[in-house]
Amino acid sequence: MSKNDSSPAFMAGLEPLSRRSLLRTTALAGVAFTTGCARVFGRKDAPEQLEFVHLTEDEVRVITHLTVVLLPTERHGLPSSTETIPTVQNLDDMVGQMSPQTRELLGLGLWVFERRPMVSFKFSRFSKLDREEATRYVHAMQEGSFFERGLTATLKALVTLNYWRDSRTWPALDYWGPVTQKWGVRRLGNAPLPPV
Amino acid sequence: MQRIVRVPQDGVPVTEARDVAADPSMGRKFSIKTDVVVVGSGAGGSVVAYEMAKAGKSVLVLESGKYYPSAEFTEHLGDTIHEVYRDQAGQANSTADVLFIEGNCVGGSTVIGACVMHRLNPSVWQDWADNHGLKDLAPDKIAPYTKIVDRWLNVHVNEAHEINATAHKVIQGCERMGFSWRPVERNVKKCALTGHCLAGCPSDRKMSALVTHLPWAAAYGARLFADTHVTRVLERGGRAVGVEAVIRDPKTGSIVSDLRVDAEVVVLAAGAIHTPLIMQRSQLADRSGRIGNGMAVQPFVQVLSTFKEPVYGFRGALTGVQVDEFQDTDGYFFISGLAEPEQLMAVGEQKAGDAHIEFMKSYNRMAGINAFSLDEGSGSVVWEGGLTDGRKVIKWNPSRKEFKDIVRTTALASRILFSAGAERVWLPTFEKMHADSVFDLDDKLRSVDYGINGLYTFRMNTFSPHGSARMGVDPYESVVSPDGEMHDVSGLYVADASLFPTPVAAGPQWATQVFAKYVSDRILARGSNHFLG
Repeated sequence: MSKNDSSPAFMAGLEPLSRRSLLRTTALAGVAFTTGCARVFGRKDAPEQLEFVHLTEDEVRVITHLTVVLLPTERHGLPSSTETIPTVQNLDDMVGQMSPQTRELLGLGLWVFERRPMVSFKFSRFSKLDREEATRYVHAMQEGSFFERGLTATLKALVTLNYWRDSRTWPALDYWGPVTQKWGVRRLGNAPLPPV
Repeated sequence: MQRIVRVPQDGVPVTEARDVAADPSMGRKFSIKTDVVVVGSGAGGSVVAYEMAKAGKSVLVLESGKYYPSAEFTEHLGDTIHEVYRDQAGQANSTADVLFIEGNCVGGSTVIGACVMHRLNPSVWQDWADNHGLKDLAPDKIAPYTKIVDRWLNVHVNEAHEINATAHKVIQGCERMGFSWRPVERNVKKCALTGHCLAGCPSDRKMSALVTHLPWAAAYGARLFADTHVTRVLERGGRAVGVEAVIRDPKTGSIVSDLRVDAEVVVLAAGAIHTPLIMQRSQLADRSGRIGNGMAVQPFVQVLSTFKEPVYGFRGALTGVQVDEFQDTDGYFFISGLAEPEQLMAVGEQKAGDAHIEFMKSYNRMAGINAFSLDEGSGSVVWEGGLTDGRKVIKWNPSRKEFKDIVRTTALASRILFSAGAERVWLPTFEKMHADSVFDLDDKLRSVDYGINGLYTFRMNTFSPHGSARMGVDPYESVVSPDGEMHDVSGLYVADASLFPTPVAAGPQWATQVFAKYVSDRILARGSNHFLG
């Protein structure tokens, strides 16, 4: 079982989030890491610890906002990408295993992504854009220059991978997940030595 | 008296960083003496380790990745990527737009591969014999080695039950297009049809090094260290005499101990990226100047499609059939496959917001084809900086010709899927792009501009780098001799895809294992030059 596994029953209690509450979630996530608070979300099945060891405060803000924009889960009956599935926490773990060069590149990419909308979006940073504008910005980046396309695709892959890797998202995809144990498939162990 | 050799029933005896840390006799610095040290435990290294140990040599295998026993495999691709894929599947070229996917664990890429054992066409071996002076690679001479690999690793043509729904779509498309196809050959025993090959096989049916050559080698006394990063080969008077390595805690990256290995023979089998990097760090003599150069990558893109009806293309054996219509003429080949949902993020997903979720929700209606093309072998790997604080740099971007080949393979894969009845084909580009019929496919693909070095055009990946320390007869043109020994350093052998003499249009595992067996025999044949006893 994955460390993120839990009963799919949690989905029944999922409350649709309004745009405002999502933005509040984003802000709360910001508060969570600045104050070291681990349980700002009162839900039983919420990520239990919001401790970002490897990402900086600014990076968490950008990634959390991007998560909200890329994965509007509440409209699709999916587990929340910010409250239920620890998407950003998973990404933080991943960053901890990155080589120094990759880590540096990611930091630079996030810095650029945050500041890129300044001209077209009234000098606002990405994390300050409301959800509609932020979505427009992501789409514009996807249609942009090779650099913009590449940066957006990379960040998007990191965020979405760290959401869909959680088995609680799979029922919505009609995906069977791990089956070996479920089917009672016997382990064969090591192959015998080949004949001399 | 005959020696009784017992293979462990399950798992491999491995010394890990935590074992070293807990053993005061090893301390912060220790040394080991052995006949043969093998760097890398994947397709090549595991074979050499077994052959050497079976021949009575003391063998030490050093693996930079961690030990992830098959009993602990979870069938969660996302978790597996985090644990055992090199750089968490983020190993990329210097422009960060081509992914070089490889395993970083005991057993290497054989653990996380899709079981495809793609044999080389006899004409390739013949070409190497006739045009590269490698007479012992002629088909009739190499045949005994290929037979052993086939038999020992249970290489077989997929049977009917191993052809899943994705593969059936590809067959249907090929039949309508008049393209030749055939079932894939795989190294699997009694496949459980879970579709989770890329996350490792928890029931040990995949004949990876983890359940074959490594436990077999251990049965003959070979020792294996995980978490052990070889920094350089030690050389004295033009002869390899061992290696230096550091043992790192896989969680923190901190150094647990320094290790020196004194050996009669050093075998590099760390893969086509890391073998030349070790050579470069070691500053070995090399008249060819080709260490790390001339690397072929065999780029591939995954073309996804959605159908009207549920396909459940992820169920069953991951790789079912291959399209071989263009293999000999153009160097293209196509393999059916749709892996776990997480994989879509890396290969073909392009949407954001609601559209992204709708895309993901169509997962059960998807089928996919991996479209491979033959490149020109102009990639390189370079170690930049100091021995311990430097970094690897992988250079490869498509030339205009290679770019055209990728466009063409994408078009062919798309046509196969449309012919099978796909409603939509998702083009594997960085730009959001799909085609809803074959009629708008070409226009869409024409709009993908090569731009600057093809940067951020197609979402290219490679499982198959090779040829970065090529075999040949001329020390001014190649890095290793026809025996697999480095021309300029006695006792230093290469036994991985680095030594492929030219780019090939085939997945490299089968040929790597054939070469590893071949090189092992060469080492033993020259034993009097290397071994004292």
